[in-house]
Amino acid sequence: MTKILYTDKLDNCVERWRSAGLSVIGPVRNANITAYRPVGSAADLELSQILPDRSIKELFFPQTEPMMRYSIKKDAINTEECLPPVGPRIIFGARPCDASGLAIDDPLFGWDYKDEYWFNRRNETVIVSIACTKSDEFCMCTSLKLSPDSTKGSDVLLRPLESGKGWQVEELTDRGREAFKAIAELLTEGAEAAAPTAVVAEKFDADACSEWLRNPENFESRFWKEISVRCIGCGSCTYLCPTCHCFDIQDEGDTFTGIRRKNWDSCSFALFTMHTSGHNPRSTQSARWRQRIMHKFNYFPGKFSANSCSGCGRCTRQCPVDMGITETLQEISKLSQ
Amino acid sequence: MSIEQQYRTRAKELLSSGEVKMVIGYSKGSTPDRRRPAFISTPEDVETLVLDGACIANLSGYLVTEGLLSDEKRVAVFLRPEGIRAINILAAEFQLNAAQVEILGFNTEGNEPTALSGSKVDDFAELIGTLKGIIPDTAGEELYKKLEAMSPQERFDFWQSEFSKCIKCYACRQACPMCYCRRCIVDNNQPQWVNTSSHTLGNFEWNIVRAFHLSGRCVECGNCDRACPVNIPLRLINRKMAGEVLEAFDHFAGSSQTQEPVMASFKKDDTETFIL
Repeated sequence: MTKILYTDKLDNCVERWRSAGLSVIGPVRNANITAYRPVGSAADLELSQILPDRSIKELFFPQTEPMMRYSIKKDAINTEECLPPVGPRIIFGARPCDASGLAIDDPLFGWDYKDEYWFNRRNETVIVSIACTKSDEFCMCTSLKLSPDSTKGSDVLLRPLESGKGWQVEELTDRGREAFKAIAELLTEGAEAAAPTAVVAEKFDADACSEWLRNPENFESRFWKEISVRCIGCGSCTYLCPTCHCFDIQDEGDTFTGIRRKNWDSCSFALFTMHTSGHNPRSTQSARWRQRIMHKFNYFPGKFSANSCSGCGRCTRQCPVDMGITETLQEISKLSQ
Repeated sequence: MSIEQQYRTRAKELLSSGEVKMVIGYSKGSTPDRRRPAFISTPEDVETLVLDGACIANLSGYLVTEGLLSDEKRVAVFLRPEGIRAINILAAEFQLNAAQVEILGFNTEGNEPTALSGSKVDDFAELIGTLKGIIPDTAGEELYKKLEAMSPQERFDFWQSEFSKCIKCYACRQACPMCYCRRCIVDNNQPQWVNTSSHTLGNFEWNIVRAFHLSGRCVECGNCDRACPVNIPLRLINRKMAGEVLEAFDHFAGSSQTQEPVMASFKKDDTETFIL
């Protein structure tokens, strides 16, 4: 017997969570795109898409956010720190790859300095993931030692029932159990079977790739130029990625008042490494693509013992010139044999 | 012989004879319905070239890749009519020497590609003349008409909602053959003319700066629209601006390589005093 949440009870759940003071967030389809957004009722949720077009990271690391306001007067400089608006939240219907992406980035944001912007939000958010029963040709979680029903980063994992009428509930953390206490009476004990999870074929050997990347001889390999020749240098892959976390700090305003902001930045951009002198150590697009791959599969695992990729496949799915991590790592897998 | 095979043969001849150093075309993509840009430098590799109804990306932007044409050698490129118009603009704006570009022209009517005769940009002048004022790809026309019928406030609200999705990844800019600036105004940070933030104001700034910069230059190839990862119907902004420029100045972007840029040219004897 397992706990079961039936779809027709979902609206009540949303209500209960909201009256318990939680903001409810989930995949919402609006203006031709699906993203994690606040929902008023279960009807707002778009749970049938393979995964939302935009990743979950923006709920923890928004594309732009204020860090400080400043004003300069004749005899005083005033600064006022801006911390993110907090309040308990529940994300219903995350995909396991998105939830895993957050767990992958936790050590990064908590390594030498504990990033309040990230952790204040992390500590107040319950993540309820739904195991995938559908996938497409771009999904690659299984190549990253994850799966369509990975629990990494989730507080609760839901497994869709075979009947399509609800989900088996697997509470994974205290935070998840606490949130589900509020809806305990809406759950049913049952033995209904779960639908089989999506079959995602393994596309590359990530360990072999990391080993190839660690070999200093391969840093200057011709491969980098060949694989990235069509890259146009936009930031689509990095901005849709649930684990890419680079940011830039900018002051906006005039001489006397303004705001300091933390904005997404991308290693795909030429400006990313441009020095004040005009010298750019990553002067070519191939050097920038190499950096992205090296960071995810060599430097990051070297420091934090996990690849900086959860296999969502958004990079390839949305690339204007049909590039992405999958093909690059498939080619590296071949080279490493 | 299929058109695909004909074009492969032509590409092979161009490379074997040394007439061109590279052929920029299409090859198979990661899924059956995807095509990707291909850069072919050896005659043996022409067999990987694909030409079918899925070849829609405008490849002309690759020609202005830094250093590609600086050795004076020639490059062949697969282009639809909008791409050919883009070559005219790039030549008119002194970004390339059109004599270095061998055009493998084609069109896609429905799902089947058809050959366009000619190889130099001027060979297509007549064809381009017949296209004047015709929207190359009418995708989104229904929405366009709806927008035209809206009140300014409704239209503003529509674009505010669309631009609120923008993440400033600059895929529109990078995919655009007309966005060839080595350093875009938004990347100028000494001083920072345009804020990098992707908030409502920042997104408006970016998208409006781009729309104005493309007025009279956009060939409506749709690269920006297809590249946008958050599905902003960018082509409709450019369609509107192209229509305005056609009406006000009788200017159809990319008509010839000597066409004066409509927003960046002036005459000393212009009757309007504000020009100078």
